[in-house]
Amino acid sequence: MSENTQNAASAKEEKQYVHLPYFGLPKLVPYVKPHLKIIIGMVLLCLLAGVIDIILPLFQQYAINHYVGESTLDTIGWFIGLYLLILLIQTAGNTYSSYLGGQIEMYITRDMRRASFNHLQTLSFSYYNQNSVGYIHSRIMSDTNRIGGLVSWSLMDGVWNMSYIVGTIVAMLLINWKLALLVLVIVPITSVASAYFQGKLVKYNRRVRELNSQISGNFNEGITGAKTTKTLVAEERMNEDFNKTSREMTRTAVKTSHFRQLFVGTISFASYLAVALVLWRGGYITMNGLMLIGTLSVFTTYAMNMMEPIQWVVRAISDLVTVQVNVERFTRLMETESDVADSPEVIEKYGDAFHPKKENWEPLHGDVEFRDVSFMYPDGDEYVLEHFNLKVPQGTNVAIVGETGAGKSTLVNLVCRFFEPTSGQILIDGRDARERSQLWLHSNIGYVLQTPHLFSGTVRENLLYGRPDATQEEIEAAVKAVSAEGIIERMDKGYDSDVGEGGDLLSTGEKQLLSFARAILADPRIFVLDEATSSIDTVTEKLIQDAINKLMKGRTSFVIAHRLSTIRQADVILVVKDGKIIEQGRHRDLMRQKGYYYNLYTRQFQEETMQQISV
Amino acid sequence: MSQIQSKPAASAANSAAKTGPTYSQLGMTWHFLKGCTHFFVLSIIGSFLMTLCEMLIPQIARSLVDSVIGTKPFTFPAFVTARIEAIGGVAFLRSHLWIIATLIVALALLIALLRYATNQLNNKGAETLQQHMREDLFSHIQELPFSWHMENKTGDIIQRCTSDVERVRVFIAEQLTSVVRIVIMMGLSLYFMFSMDYRLALVAALSIPIVIGYSIFFHSKIGEHFMEVDTNEGILSTIAQENLTGVRVVRAFGREEFERERFEKQNNFYTGLWVRLMGLMSLFWGAGDIISGLQVLLILVLGSVYCVNDSLTAGEFIAFLSYNSMLIWPVRHLGRVISEMSKAGVSIDRIRYIMNSDTEHDREGVPEENRRPDMHGDIVFDHVSFSYTPDIPVVDDVSLTIKAGSTLGILGSTGSGKTTLMHLMNRLYPLEENSGKITIGGVDVADMDRKYLRQNIGMVLQEPFLFSRTIAENISITNRQMPMDDIRRAASIACVDEAITEFKKGYDTMVGERGVTLSGGQKQRTAIARMLTQKAPIMVFDDSLSAVDAETDAKIRAQLHENLGESTVILISHRVTTLMNCDQIIVMDKGHIIERGTPAELMELGGTYRHIYDMQLSMDDDEDEGSNASPAAVEGKEV
Repeated sequence: MSENTQNAASAKEEKQYVHLPYFGLPKLVPYVKPHLKIIIGMVLLCLLAGVIDIILPLFQQYAINHYVGESTLDTIGWFIGLYLLILLIQTAGNTYSSYLGGQIEMYITRDMRRASFNHLQTLSFSYYNQNSVGYIHSRIMSDTNRIGGLVSWSLMDGVWNMSYIVGTIVAMLLINWKLALLVLVIVPITSVASAYFQGKLVKYNRRVRELNSQISGNFNEGITGAKTTKTLVAEERMNEDFNKTSREMTRTAVKTSHFRQLFVGTISFASYLAVALVLWRGGYITMNGLMLIGTLSVFTTYAMNMMEPIQWVVRAISDLVTVQVNVERFTRLMETESDVADSPEVIEKYGDAFHPKKENWEPLHGDVEFRDVSFMYPDGDEYVLEHFNLKVPQGTNVAIVGETGAGKSTLVNLVCRFFEPTSGQILIDGRDARERSQLWLHSNIGYVLQTPHLFSGTVRENLLYGRPDATQEEIEAAVKAVSAEGIIERMDKGYDSDVGEGGDLLSTGEKQLLSFARAILADPRIFVLDEATSSIDTVTEKLIQDAINKLMKGRTSFVIAHRLSTIRQADVILVVKDGKIIEQGRHRDLMRQKGYYYNLYTRQFQEETMQQISV
Repeated sequence: MSQIQSKPAASAANSAAKTGPTYSQLGMTWHFLKGCTHFFVLSIIGSFLMTLCEMLIPQIARSLVDSVIGTKPFTFPAFVTARIEAIGGVAFLRSHLWIIATLIVALALLIALLRYATNQLNNKGAETLQQHMREDLFSHIQELPFSWHMENKTGDIIQRCTSDVERVRVFIAEQLTSVVRIVIMMGLSLYFMFSMDYRLALVAALSIPIVIGYSIFFHSKIGEHFMEVDTNEGILSTIAQENLTGVRVVRAFGREEFERERFEKQNNFYTGLWVRLMGLMSLFWGAGDIISGLQVLLILVLGSVYCVNDSLTAGEFIAFLSYNSMLIWPVRHLGRVISEMSKAGVSIDRIRYIMNSDTEHDREGVPEENRRPDMHGDIVFDHVSFSYTPDIPVVDDVSLTIKAGSTLGILGSTGSGKTTLMHLMNRLYPLEENSGKITIGGVDVADMDRKYLRQNIGMVLQEPFLFSRTIAENISITNRQMPMDDIRRAASIACVDEAITEFKKGYDTMVGERGVTLSGGQKQRTAIARMLTQKAPIMVFDDSLSAVDAETDAKIRAQLHENLGESTVILISHRVTTLMNCDQIIVMDKGHIIERGTPAELMELGGTYRHIYDMQLSMDDDEDEGSNASPAAVEGKEV
């Protein structure tokens, strides 16, 4: 079976690997262009650095030929002075160019991160439904990082080493062209070998990464499934299967290392081969008095030092090849268009997501109407709503019930315009929702989720999220409305207490209460509650239920309910199964139908009676 | 009461019963190294030989310059000089320079081979080491008690098993070995340098502590900045993460602009920090370049001076420069390695935390026949008490006998202790001393081989966990060789065969992230099928039909009834109807048994069972009257 999953995994990886023209680099132009000055500066400095690297061995040549060969120290002062000067220039150049390289890396990465983050703010929920948070997150953080890093450092390595190679070849040709040509024979061999091994390495490294994530996955399963493993006494089986993956990892890693070491060995052999060639032919030339000993020595140095830069240039090129995967993924995100977008006229009048024109916003009254709405999720192949009609006059309480995963959120998603109907219309206050901006609608909706989501920061910051200009009195009133004063009192800094990452320092129930207060504070015209009270104890739940009922008076509300006992007096109950509305009506009518709702209700009732008895 | 008094004694017994070895930092390192040390030792020997060969090449070049092209006598050992004389001396070599070139090529080939072997051995050792670590960790985690799993966060453990393992591997296989290599390299370089000219060698040697010292200083300084940058990357990453997970909240409140500004601010701040760090690093590197540049200059100038006053030959000078260049890089690298090595200690400790945690264990000194007794006996709970946290009993003084082959029903609300009672029976939680005992066929479960015990108690958990494998593999997880017929039979008893065959790939459908998401009911039924393949004499269904509708529930129970045979069955449920055919029913509340008897007796008794029965049955009978049938308890919630 592990065979199967591996194939599946690599097939997936393969699919993502689409070849873009020129390694996808043209796609990066908008992010590179603003930093062209820095890039040109770095390239020039790298050229300089390459040249200086070539000049330095000449000092050695001069010292041996002049001082040693002619037994004199006459110019030693100049020698030291010039050496120090070159050393300083070299150091300054290197230092500054690597600083510039760092800047290029960081600025390109930063700009790409910003662009992708901002783009994500405008994408519709179909994108979020089709891609996991982890996947999207690594587009913003990892891909941009890798692109920035590789573009900048590949460029730097490439330019520096190319200039060194070209410079060395020129220097050798100038010193002795015959000897130089002899050395140059090795260059193509080294290049071809480098390209071959680099190709192999890219392939094996990808496999190593796959296996790595598989191993993390195994650990995750081994830990979260520990109880099941124990009761089934499947420890041996789990160990065996884990070890199989683990061994394959070792084999692949060793194989990868095999190619890398062959590569390194080949390069080092080529370097010494160059030295041997120079000493052999150069020795004759020197013996014949056509070349000085110091020149032979510097020639040897050049020949030997040239092979490694070749390796680096090849590496830089292959890095650019591998980075196209990241470029491709990044580009795909940036080129994804939102399927819920405001028309230019709407933006003209009401502003966009980042620049609202609140002066043109009409107040929202709260009438909602589904008119002949059919809907299919963008990634689905089946209508979940067909020719659906429902009038929800201002102040109506709509309850939506059904099993987990039945598709209860669909209606709410449509009301909030997180999705748009495939056909038909949703009218808000009698006008098509598309005639006003998304932000206008959203600013009037209060939304409380089943899994409450708080942001890192203080309690106050979280409460103010929906309405940043609320006063302390208003905050306190909202907190009081949901009976959350106790939570605030228990925390050491009151409203200024930190809630932790994602609100982790609070219990789910506490998070739910606070997210509820947050929604109330925003004073919305339409309330959406998604199983909002599932993690609160019965006593608090009663308090909240009271508060909800008070607050919902006069407002339109949509409640996705888990505990059916809480929605029995809703104005209309919609029963959802397999993504479709199968029953609709008031509690009493639905019970009388003895259909699906009746079944759901009785089953839950049995469980709730248990709770009631023991309390 | 009893378990409060027994607490200290129990914890003392626990610590005394520590089974596995407790590793120190060094002990832990050594434990993982076992079985791969030879790779590292061979690699270090190879690296010594390789360095030696590398050092010979400058010697050959020197002789070429001094003695073949120049006129100085050879300074090789006598036997080498004798061989040269034998083939015709310097004159011969002068006309046959290719011999020397070939010698270099041969050496180069040897070096390449040695380098391959050395690095490959080292990497083989490193990978084997990492394999040992992860396999040891994985199997150790499998054997850790369930309470340990409850106490530790999954994410944190995975971090320890992946990142920390990687860091320890880098420490042992890369850092420790490179320190050894560098020391060898330095030693040999210095040896050759001193053998040529002690004055120049001294100058070169003196620079070593300066370069290392500077390098350590630099890397530890940079380390602090790295921490700051890391923290801020974490903050940026969290902002993005929270924005994505909370995208509904962001949109619902229309706060896109706010989010953009928040991200922008941190993005710029983080970028600024990095650029500053890059600046610092460039400066430090630059300063390092100057230090090594000055060292080279000093040797160039002094060397020239010595050559001019004839105390050094040109060949020696050239060779010396080669050795010096071989010295500089490793020395700069050494400082970096030393400063990074300190981080490994933390990782070893984090791994030690797992490896030193005590695994589950069986009682010692138990007669062999009690380890694997016949499991077709009566199950007896004898004054059993248990608590997770001291003073808050979850199970409180429960006594109960379940006749072999009978069916027990347990009714009780969430938190009443029914699941814990089952976990005590199969020792997912071990009973402490003096907290009563549980026997099966008269044998204390604490005496039994725990795996034997669990194999004989088939248990379907409340929230079934399926592994991310195919459905067939999930059902046959306890036996790799299980024939397909058995798998399908179990699935049809659990009424899930039909649903499975409807999937495109049938039983080969992958479950979980990479495959199909099963509904709650399908998961529960698959878990039941999986348990049935165990053919255990004792079966526990812990509320395992809660996500299945009443009709299927009844069908499954009928199927089970036909197929269970001699097994003793324990059924936990909220549904009175589910329990109506049990031989015995207990009602639990707050860790106590508050009612017990046959269904008929409990009906007679008129207590909680009867009350629930009436309420649930009345739902079925009086639905026509709608909400009138609802009990006051539920009505009370209405406003």
